[in-house]
Amino acid sequence: MNTFYLNQLGRTGLVAVATAVLNACAPGQETPTPTTSVDVSRYVAVGDSYTAGISAGGLTRASQEYSFPSLLARQFKGASREAAFTQPLLEAGTGAGFIELVDFPATGLPKTRRVAGQAVRRTIINPGTCAGPDTVRLLTRNNPSSSLPQNLGIPGLALSQIETAGLGNEASAVAGAPFNSYFERLLPPATTRTYLQAVTDVAASATFFTYFQGLDDLLPYVRSGGQCGGRYDSTAFRNQALLTMRANARKVLDRLAAGGRPGIIAKLPALTTLPLLRLGNGTALLARFSAAPGVFITVGNPFRPAQVRPITSRDYVLASVLSRVGQPTAVVVGSTTLMLPYGLDSRNPLRDADVLDETELTFVSFVLNGYNNELETLARDVYKMPVITPDGNQRALNLDVILFDQVAGLISVGGVVYSPELVRGNFFSLDYYTLTPRGNGLMANAFITAINKAYRANIPAVDVNSLPTVAQ
Amino acid sequence: MRPLFLFVVPLFSGLTASASGFETGPQGARVLGLGGASTAYINSIAGLSTNPGLLGQWGDSLTRISIGHLSQFRRSSFIGQDTYRRTDQELTVQPGGYFYATHGVGKRVAVGLAVTMPYGYHTKWPNNWEGRSVIQESQLSTYFVQPTVGFRLNDNFSAGVGFVYAYGKYSQRRALGQYDDPAAQSKFSSSGQGYGVNVGLYGRTGETLAFGISYRSGLNLKMNNGKLTTVGVPERDDALYPSTADFKTQINLPSTLSVGVSDRITKNLLLTFDFTLSGWSSLDSLKLDVAASGTAPARRISTARRYEDALAFRVGAEYQATPKLTVLGGLRYADTPVRDEFINPEFVDANTLGASAGAVYQLGRLALEAGYAFDYGQRRTARANPVIDRVANVSGTYRTGTHMASVGVAVAF
Repeated sequence: MNTFYLNQLGRTGLVAVATAVLNACAPGQETPTPTTSVDVSRYVAVGDSYTAGISAGGLTRASQEYSFPSLLARQFKGASREAAFTQPLLEAGTGAGFIELVDFPATGLPKTRRVAGQAVRRTIINPGTCAGPDTVRLLTRNNPSSSLPQNLGIPGLALSQIETAGLGNEASAVAGAPFNSYFERLLPPATTRTYLQAVTDVAASATFFTYFQGLDDLLPYVRSGGQCGGRYDSTAFRNQALLTMRANARKVLDRLAAGGRPGIIAKLPALTTLPLLRLGNGTALLARFSAAPGVFITVGNPFRPAQVRPITSRDYVLASVLSRVGQPTAVVVGSTTLMLPYGLDSRNPLRDADVLDETELTFVSFVLNGYNNELETLARDVYKMPVITPDGNQRALNLDVILFDQVAGLISVGGVVYSPELVRGNFFSLDYYTLTPRGNGLMANAFITAINKAYRANIPAVDVNSLPTVAQ
Repeated sequence: MRPLFLFVVPLFSGLTASASGFETGPQGARVLGLGGASTAYINSIAGLSTNPGLLGQWGDSLTRISIGHLSQFRRSSFIGQDTYRRTDQELTVQPGGYFYATHGVGKRVAVGLAVTMPYGYHTKWPNNWEGRSVIQESQLSTYFVQPTVGFRLNDNFSAGVGFVYAYGKYSQRRALGQYDDPAAQSKFSSSGQGYGVNVGLYGRTGETLAFGISYRSGLNLKMNNGKLTTVGVPERDDALYPSTADFKTQINLPSTLSVGVSDRITKNLLLTFDFTLSGWSSLDSLKLDVAASGTAPARRISTARRYEDALAFRVGAEYQATPKLTVLGGLRYADTPVRDEFINPEFVDANTLGASAGAVYQLGRLALEAGYAFDYGQRRTARANPVIDRVANVSGTYRTGTHMASVGVAVAF
């Protein structure tokens, strides 16, 4: 027994020695050193929901930590040791509330439920909004509120609101007044500071910026099937909306790019790449309900009487109502009440508010494209930003080309496939709009690719597969 | 001799590729020390597996047996192209061994048996490494049993033919990186067998010069008993990844064409040269055909390999230092069968330059043999294109080093 024990010990020792010797024999390679020709140590991020780190319809401490600016800043640390990045972090937990997965049936439409947020300190019901009663949730104030964070992403912030005084003042949190609770929690109580002033303050000490703003200007219109969020059906309104977005983007960028400060200006992705629209594309819907006589939608606007027509490949049913399509609902036909499948019978068409039809999409895309063109022009002519694409003619980041279109066609990253499918695709989160932590990792890598090209930097990319698949 | 040799050189010079792949190295302590140049080398019966034509040379009244252990330590380092992170493979030992026996029957005929483990590898990356969803661990082991008969055609020439029975075991596991659970993974394991032949010729011109030429056919290991087990999949995806399923696969092992020369420079010094062409191009892709299980349909997991035929050039020297002690040395260069576009972490390979050393100590009828070799590979750069979503790979650079060590005994009685 004793001998055996000694033998065992001796053998273990021998193995340990052999292992140590051979471990030293792993063939060496030099690891590249992260470098950058520009100072990324004080980075400021300006934007809306994406920049703030909204994921699965909510902001939580975890979703903030996996926001793309936060992931970017983490990678900057490798190249610039003194780099620091502050975010208006919520307390750990359910934050402002979010939606979670209950079940993922074969239809590919997840069943979800809303989880209440612990950071909500007061709610105000605004009964008179276009899409019905709206709940404003006041959140616990960022601490310390005396200094503004470097991540200035404000969920829901429209470019048209950047000079609205009182947008972040609790006194404005009444029905009908412009108010943003995410902006409010960044500011000291009872101040009338505008978002543009906040950007001005933070940009003063910044060395680098990212700008990705404007989606939240257009999303209310898209989400309401063209019913709310602005009268984009009116030519005058459209032109004015575009002018405002361009002018206000310029105001923000004038602060950010002042004195030739380096940064990345990102253009908006096409709205149809977002699952909110993509999942309910007319072609996809017709394929899904090929047994039905057709899919019927209501189109119209306040100037024209509503009319019912079959759906086409250029119409989009909102993803949020897809699970209701085909469900029997009661409809009065003549004098009798019939149970007809919703949307699959011309007598029970999809409501106008449930569809972003071709015309509505054209209206809103006009603004989006005009805005993107302006960003490219500003980057090239006004701020003289460096070229960021290999083909040598783009100076604002086209996220469609480098990210969203690629994911739409499926990509494999280190053996893991990312797709626009919800839940299994691991890219878009459950709100059909924002990204999962891994999606944000891919987004951060798109920015890193652009930074490395534009500023001759060697910033390492995020290992996306090591990030969680859900933020909460 | 000269006309033959001149014929051989142009045959190989037109090939851009050269032979390593997942060979485990020369199958014997003595031939390992010699750098593997053993096609025309008759001082060890380990040459039996390389060239059955040598067998006729051991047709005297003696029975010869050679047995030993062989280990291969193969290790690569990786640096992610975009992440700049370095990952070293974990230390693994691919165990091997050999057994040879020859016996003369009659004046012109000899019989022999070779049991070897000529192909195999054991790749093990850390469980959480960057390419974990491509591969975490993969192992192939093969066992060749080759009964052989050799004929002495005349004083200078002999020929031999062997039948090869091969048995192989293959296993791999990879993470299911689409899930948060770090333990989520698929494990594949299977085994199977295949058959082949090995023929060779050995000749001597004069007292000092000898040559050998041999051909071993390629083999196809048919593995029909594969088991796939999957763990760590969330409930919602149970139907996509059933916990167990059957699969089939086959692994093609290359044919080898070897040509060798040995030249006794002085009474005590022997030099040997070998060219080997390995027909790796038979390995086109690794296809794992997973059978339907539960509601999950049958599917094929295919990884392109597209190996090229590969050439190796080996030089060996044997020096009789004292009547009892013989020392050996060798150098070799081997082309890799792995093309740039198909570099995959499951089996990393490169053009290698190697050196070897060995010693034989004679104790009467017994010879104690030891050999060691080291191969160092060129840097390889793998570029994965994310847009091709059916190809699972990681971008980065690899460096590979291989140690081989062997000890054995040989007896003649």
